[in-house]
Amino acid sequence: MRACPTHAIRVKNGKAHLISELCIDCGSCLGVCQLGAISATTIKFAELNRYKFKVAVASPALLTQFGLRDTPADVGRALLELGFDAVWDYAVDIALVDRAITDFVKKWPGPFPLISNSCPVVVRLIQVAYPSMVDHVIPLEAPREIAARELKRRYSREMGLNPEEIAAIYITPCQAKAISILQPAEEAKSNLDGAVAISEIYNDLLTKMRKTVRPGDAPKDLVTAGELLHWGAPEGEIPALSREHYLPLTGLTDIMKVFNDIEKGRIRNIEFLECDACQGGCIGGNLTVENLYVARSKNLHLMASMPKPGPEFEKEVDRRYALEDFSLRGSLKPRQTEGEAIDLRERVMRRKRAEEVLRTLPLLNCGLCGAPKCKNHAEDVAASRADLLDCVFLSPDRIKALGKHYKK
Amino acid sequence: MAAELLRESFNIQGRNFDKAGEVSSGIKVILRDLLIDAANTRRTVIVAYEGEMNVVMYADRGTLTLILTDKDISLEIDDEGPGIPDIEMALQEGYSTASDEMRELGFGFGMGLPNMKKNSDEFRIESEVGKGTRVFARIKLDANG
Repeated sequence: MRACPTHAIRVKNGKAHLISELCIDCGSCLGVCQLGAISATTIKFAELNRYKFKVAVASPALLTQFGLRDTPADVGRALLELGFDAVWDYAVDIALVDRAITDFVKKWPGPFPLISNSCPVVVRLIQVAYPSMVDHVIPLEAPREIAARELKRRYSREMGLNPEEIAAIYITPCQAKAISILQPAEEAKSNLDGAVAISEIYNDLLTKMRKTVRPGDAPKDLVTAGELLHWGAPEGEIPALSREHYLPLTGLTDIMKVFNDIEKGRIRNIEFLECDACQGGCIGGNLTVENLYVARSKNLHLMASMPKPGPEFEKEVDRRYALEDFSLRGSLKPRQTEGEAIDLRERVMRRKRAEEVLRTLPLLNCGLCGAPKCKNHAEDVAASRADLLDCVFLSPDRIKALGKHYKK
Repeated sequence: MAAELLRESFNIQGRNFDKAGEVSSGIKVILRDLLIDAANTRRTVIVAYEGEMNVVMYADRGTLTLILTDKDISLEIDDEGPGIPDIEMALQEGYSTASDEMRELGFGFGMGLPNMKKNSDEFRIESEVGKGTRVFARIKLDANG
């Protein structure tokens, strides 16, 4: 309840409830709840069998999860053995979107800074808490969406399949991307068909990698695409933008600090902000397994050891860049909240009532009423969502009731 | 004149760069909680922030008052400070009397007052040298639909 950055959780009768219009899918609650009250919205691997042809689109974060000697190619092979029919070489799509972003930033008249949208939590945070900034969000598709669109095009042609028979499955480092596939923020339909958590397939992949004969000896016919995985830069890193005008940010707390300054017009010299809600970026996602710093070390190792992309890679990027459209389908709007149904006068009244209620509360933010802070309880009371007497300082009976509930 | 729905005043401490911006952050939270539309909130917050910074940079102390009616948001910023000798000059873009020290802190580009004017529908300054300055800005709520 307290971990929630948008104060969207209330605990009533011992159960956590969500004010869904405030939830930004960040997963902060997922990491702290010991009781398993909250679970991630990903699909189980077994559910994928209804598709004829399953293609894995692996977040580059997946490649950082294993030992130093496990190569991206080993991971690709293990994915195929796990039951995917193909593994998509995601690096091209990342390079394409990098290029599209760079071009877009150059042509953009303002308002600045533009903000990356590959992290769905950041997009939702803006919709909920920074509605005045929705037009700062760059209106381009994320690499994973571009990848899914292209792989369906290609395999339906090469394999003679209907696009509906092909499943593009994202191997995700976080639940937010899984949710963004089910309910895209811009209200278009996702090109991806689902997401499987890295943590769900980690053990199986590891077993397969340890059993597989070392590189070179893998049965060739397993490899149907992507020539195994190519190492792409971690999602959304834009090497072509000028360092001076480009800020990468990770972690929700830091992102909110910078957003507060943007609202005041204080950020003047920055053209593009790359924001990832998880500390350390996607390799720190809450459905990853390896600890962030070990993963980062592996990431640096991968970047240093991979050869520069060859002319074929560049040619493919050039070819597709000329053909494809990267602009976002649909548009992003601030999220509606229930208060919009009432007029300004009533909203001001509610605010005044909440202030009066707050004066009667102890301001200890103990959370026993079920709201994270006294301020939230006061707002809930003013909006008739909660009973003032849920506060244990105002109603000693409440302690007894809580005792009955929790002391078993 | 439309009836006042809300009036709240905040104190601004002069020369306290550490706390600078807190008042306008507070204003933003109020407007956001009241679901004032995004464009008007943005304009109000920019006016409030620039106004607050002017007090912080030049004055000893000041107050910022937020007044809300059905039709508009008004900000009144009053300070006890040096005053502005030539208001017309001060309203020109790029004109600044900021010290090097202030510029090193990233302020004083001479955009404060012009920016406030640009973001409000009505804008007035009254100033008395040696006494202080009073700025009044109004943002119409229907100006942006």
